[in-house]
Amino acid sequence: MEKLVDSRGSACPGPITDLSKAYRNSQVGDIIVLWATDQGVKADAQAWAKRTGNEILEMKEEPDKIVIKIRINKR
Amino acid sequence: MEKVLIVGGGAGGLILANSLDLDQYDVTVVDKEAEHYYQPWYLYVAFKGSKRKISRPISKLLKPGIRFVRDTIKEIDLDNKKAYGSYEVIYPYDHIIVATGTSPDPNVIPGLSQIYNQVGDFHSNLQNSRKLWNSVKNFKGGNIVFGMASPVCKCPPSPIEGVLLLEEYLNKKGLRSKTKITYFTPYPRAYPAEPMNRIVEPMLKERGIEVMPFFDLDMVDTENRKIKSIEGDELNYDLPIIIPPCKGTKIKFRQDVKDEDGFIKADKYTMRIKGYDDAYAVGDVNNLPTSKTGVTAHLEAKVVANLIQGIYDKFTGRINCPFDMGYGKATFVIADYENPVVEYPPSRTKHFMKMSMARIYWLTLKGYMDPVFDFYFEFTNPRKLNEKYNKTNPPKASSQPQ
Ligand SMILES: Cc1cc2nc3c(=O)[nH]c(=O)nc-3n(C[C@H](O)[C@H](O)[C@H](O)COP(=O)(O)OP(=O)(O)OC[C@H]3O[C@@H](n4cnc5c(N)ncnc54)[C@H](O)[C@@H]3O)c2cc1C
Repeated sequence: MEKLVDSRGSACPGPITDLSKAYRNSQVGDIIVLWATDQGVKADAQAWAKRTGNEILEMKEEPDKIVIKIRINKR
Repeated sequence: MEKVLIVGGGAGGLILANSLDLDQYDVTVVDKEAEHYYQPWYLYVAFKGSKRKISRPISKLLKPGIRFVRDTIKEIDLDNKKAYGSYEVIYPYDHIIVATGTSPDPNVIPGLSQIYNQVGDFHSNLQNSRKLWNSVKNFKGGNIVFGMASPVCKCPPSPIEGVLLLEEYLNKKGLRSKTKITYFTPYPRAYPAEPMNRIVEPMLKERGIEVMPFFDLDMVDTENRKIKSIEGDELNYDLPIIIPPCKGTKIKFRQDVKDEDGFIKADKYTMRIKGYDDAYAVGDVNNLPTSKTGVTAHLEAKVVANLIQGIYDKFTGRINCPFDMGYGKATFVIADYENPVVEYPPSRTKHFMKMSMARIYWLTLKGYMDPVFDFYFEFTNPRKLNEKYNKTNPPKASSQPQ
């Protein structure tokens, strides 16, 4: 299942909390698409994926947002 | 007169009710409790044993002319504009505001309810905060694990405030050298917002508190006194201090407006429940991309009061969370949708401000402090503060909708 997490505008607690929350509610094989505006999300999502054993499929910068696509490989 | 129904007499619900023109609107507040509690003080109950009275009857916090009903709302039908209470009482409305805050749910983490019942916690209610003070008072040294059981909780600084106040207490009691404190968090660092973390992490280090990042609590093994994370790590404990998972509302909606954790999906500028012009979700219960705090609930309530009364307004995502760092110092977490968190240095003055808030809180609910707040919010405008303090922070992409 693909799930969109719109975290645009969140500075505190920030997009990483929304990603963790989506992860909790996900299953192996799910795709999480995270939208954020906080630049810190790029490094955070990478560190998070590495630590949790999940995979970043795509990370791109659009004019109004950063889009990160993650596949859940581990739960 | 148009009927305004406010479900929840917490910070958001009360400020909203007191901001409406009572000559124009027939206002009813429904709450399942008779008393309103000043939740930030749970910290001082749990870690300092404070006995200060922190509740007032909701009926006394409302301006004359506003009706208060003690009842639990069970179900809401947004299409037919009706809310359903206990004993089949029906509340019809023209405008509804759901401001029911969050509810703790320890049962979703195996083993946690036992800790919730035996050790207590400092987020759920006054009784559990007192229970935690008892556990802290009777602690004689050993391993303390301290953290939150879900990625989302109200008042993001409060877990760190708690651990810093606990460290101060143990130090004063002479138990510090006999105690190892580990702060666990699902985030990559102690404080989720990077600029504030630059202040927080050195402070935790200085006070000898270990940080365990990427620790998303999965279960509590009460038999072997261990907590385990989804990521596969384990920590041993003698005293576990754990904020239970924070969920949205249990109210049943006939329409699909809640996310999987029970938070209500609402517009981040107007707080309107998605798809409805006459229904709003204010405060902790909504899913806005901002912190769940009393200040946020306050600002959202002001915007909604204007919108109901036909005055154009828009919530900016402004947050302003007081952050007690122990030993008489504090700071504030300040940001909005457009500006990142300010790296705002702690000071004694800011601690004094946090403590003063506890005194003027009751006046704030009635709107008597509005001019002071207007001045303060402009004085601490996130854009200006960012220019002054955030030297290393990159600018954010715009978050305006296209
Ligand atoms: C330890 C701690 C420290 C904090 N520190 C700060 C701080 O320093 N600054 C700050 O701004 N915020 C702080 N907060 C957060 C702040 O307390 C909350 O964000 C704020 O109370 C949210 O207001 P609300 O109106 O959304 O919900 P609440 O104030 O929680 O009110 C919800 C109300 O709805 C009622 N209710 C719930 N369900 C129903 C139902 N079905 N029917 C009828 N009534 C119902 C409840 O009884 C309650 O009265 C702190 C919180 C904690 C726990």
